[in-house]
Amino acid sequence: MPDFSVITQNLPYLLWGRALEGQPGGLLLTLIMSLEAGVLALVVGVLLALAAWLSGGWTRRILFAWADFIRGIPLIFVIFWLYFLLPSLFGVNLPDTITVVLAIAWFTSAAVMYSTLAGLEALPKGQVEAGLSAGFSRTKVLVNILLPQALPNVLPSLVGVFISLIKDTSLAFIVNVPELTTVAGQVNNRTQIYPTEIFLFTGAVYFLLCGALSLTVHLAGGRRARPA
Amino acid sequence: MTASATPLIELQNVHKWHGDLHVLRGIDLTVSRGEALAIIGPSGSGKSTLIRLVNRLEAISEGEIIIDGVPTARFAGRELRELRSEIGFVFQQFNLYGHLTALDNVSLALRKVRGVPRAKAEARARDLLDRVGLADKAGHFPSQLSGGQQQRVAIARALATDPKIVLFDEPTSALDPEMIGEVLAVIRELPKAGITILVVTHEMAFAREVADRVAFIDGGTILELETPEKFFSAPSHPRTRRFLQQVLSPLSAAEAS
Amino acid sequence: MTGVSFDFAGVLTGQPGQWLLSGFLMTIYVTVVGALLATLLAVLLLGLRIAPLAPARGLAIALVELFRNTPILVQFLFWYFAAYNLLPRSFRDYITAEHPWAVLPVGNVLLAPEFIAAAWGLGVFTAAFLAEELRAGLNAMPRGQKEAALSQGFGHWETLRFVLLPQALANSWQPLVTQYLNLMKLSSLASAISLAELTYQVRQVESYNAHAFEAFAVGTVLYLLLGLVLGQLLIVFGPKPVGARARRRAVKANRSATAAAIVGASGDA
Ligand SMILES: Nc1ncnc2c1ncn2[C@@H]1O[C@H](COP(=O)(O)OP(=O)(O)OP(=O)(O)O)[C@@H](O)[C@H]1O
Ligand SMILES: [Mg+2]
Repeated sequence: MPDFSVITQNLPYLLWGRALEGQPGGLLLTLIMSLEAGVLALVVGVLLALAAWLSGGWTRRILFAWADFIRGIPLIFVIFWLYFLLPSLFGVNLPDTITVVLAIAWFTSAAVMYSTLAGLEALPKGQVEAGLSAGFSRTKVLVNILLPQALPNVLPSLVGVFISLIKDTSLAFIVNVPELTTVAGQVNNRTQIYPTEIFLFTGAVYFLLCGALSLTVHLAGGRRARPA
Repeated sequence: MTASATPLIELQNVHKWHGDLHVLRGIDLTVSRGEALAIIGPSGSGKSTLIRLVNRLEAISEGEIIIDGVPTARFAGRELRELRSEIGFVFQQFNLYGHLTALDNVSLALRKVRGVPRAKAEARARDLLDRVGLADKAGHFPSQLSGGQQQRVAIARALATDPKIVLFDEPTSALDPEMIGEVLAVIRELPKAGITILVVTHEMAFAREVADRVAFIDGGTILELETPEKFFSAPSHPRTRRFLQQVLSPLSAAEAS
Repeated sequence: MTGVSFDFAGVLTGQPGQWLLSGFLMTIYVTVVGALLATLLAVLLLGLRIAPLAPARGLAIALVELFRNTPILVQFLFWYFAAYNLLPRSFRDYITAEHPWAVLPVGNVLLAPEFIAAAWGLGVFTAAFLAEELRAGLNAMPRGQKEAALSQGFGHWETLRFVLLPQALANSWQPLVTQYLNLMKLSSLASAISLAELTYQVRQVESYNAHAFEAFAVGTVLYLLLGLVLGQLLIVFGPKPVGARARRRAVKANRSATAAAIVGASGDA
């Protein structure tokens, strides 16, 4: 019989880790990492999309090759690479949490770039022509006319990307950063006999988080956010 | 086509509602064996709904349709599938199966619904393609055929299971003008082979030459049901007269109104 | 990185080389078995999802949303630590007993809890995505296709099987390939439940002789290569988009489709 007292006893630890001692963990850390990586990925991804839209030829090809490379290997390898490369770039060891956030943001920015670019290119050609003939530069047309129209259109797919990002933070488990999945693993190691309760609870928390996001977009009338 | 022949199709007080919209308002109609019936009327009058009720692509709201002496309004499941496989249907947009060659389009239902062995089904499909003048296109996919060719394949497909009845919903409306003739030429052969056809059409010349009777439908009721001679020379209902005037000489009709 | 010399022989030969080879093969095995499972389960899910019965559809929606909205890593942990132990004792004993026939070249053992949990986890997770892609493909089919089939006397399931599904499958093949490639990449996370696949072995080599760069580089190249080959195979031998059949241009279309499928490959975990 399931015995969920293991959850209630460890609830504070699962929800916020050692936040009271200044070390947030559990669900709280998952949320912090998701938001940090999400903002970073959004900014970088949109900038890359703008760069790809403005530049033709080689710049564009290099951007695509970069994105394809990133999306072509498992995310865990992006994390490995950053663990290996960041210290040699910065000369210091960054905290593990930062390394994982940077890796996930880097990985996700490629998806943001693709979504945003698709949104920009789905706009009618007349929009650009109208802007140019009104005397705007290409950059001004892009920033003032196209982007404001494209972003609302791609919002559902960006939420889908963000849902994937939230799930991706669970990979911190593999490098032992104490977010939700890792602390769940710790509790499981400590107690040994309640894996069913612990991982059902963990799954349920992610499900509520991601499901709520996807439902919000759905109810807001957009296409349902598809984790993609 | 004499009045004494036993009717093949008999609609009795058939009604159709789409929600609150009363689309067909008590249709009574009898079609004899081997008859060619043209159905004409303004857009939205219920023509498609009427023929789609016969093979039950639309559910009947009220009334009865007797086919070959059997009431079919309550048919469901297997009975309904068997009824449908004995009635051919040709769509305005052809609706050929996009993933299949012309030959497979024609033979699929024979094989999968009727259980005819492949070799036999394909031989019959080749015969039918030959009959519609497309023997050389058996291996082509729909995307490789012109609209007129696609519609002729669709007619061959509708004939595959040897139906007594074939229903046509504006079979030439989606075609370029130069392809209309080839399709009508195939359709007009069917009554000669004893097949009963109900054709929703805007081709007045076709209705005049091929149909045994013409039904004019407006606002969900059949206002006129006559032989083509009478229908086109002396329509009795004022709405029929106005409709004919509009379709036969649109310019003068516009001036008159 | 001037002044740093690389020692690829140190990871490609001897014990590390053995490990990497066996890990690479294990990745292929678990990908193939997981993909087969995913395909089977996707068909079942889709069947439920479009069944005429409302409770069946509800169940399918719940399952699909559940698997898509939780991390596959948590799913792996659940299947491995929780669900596996709920299986009958006799079954588990059978699995852990020695089975010479289930040991593949270079010592990969397939009949093991890790492999079963990983393949099953990958299968279930990917099935939810495959089923949704297929359903999207079905929804995009013109209404006339279904009506034509019904008018010929096909029933609900026959219409699906002979008319709608073949076309939906062909039209959504590219996103489906993306999902299969994603499955391959996600198999890397099975290292967290000790499946000795490529990622697991890369880390083992790293801690064995500290050749981190070389081990990561070899792992990265192998995943990229496997993705390219798998994507190409699936596109070449997969169904062609409806309408593009029998056209000479098909070969050329394939090439760009592979590129697009790899490009579109998502990192969903
Ligand atoms: N599924 C449906 N739901 C609601 N209303 C419908 C539906 N199908 C048809 N209608 C309505 O029923 C009426 C009759 O439609 P029907 O398609 O039979 O007309 P029609 O005579 O074939 O017209 P057209 O010449 O344009 O094809 C129309 O007002 C149409 O809008
Ligand atoms: Mg109509």
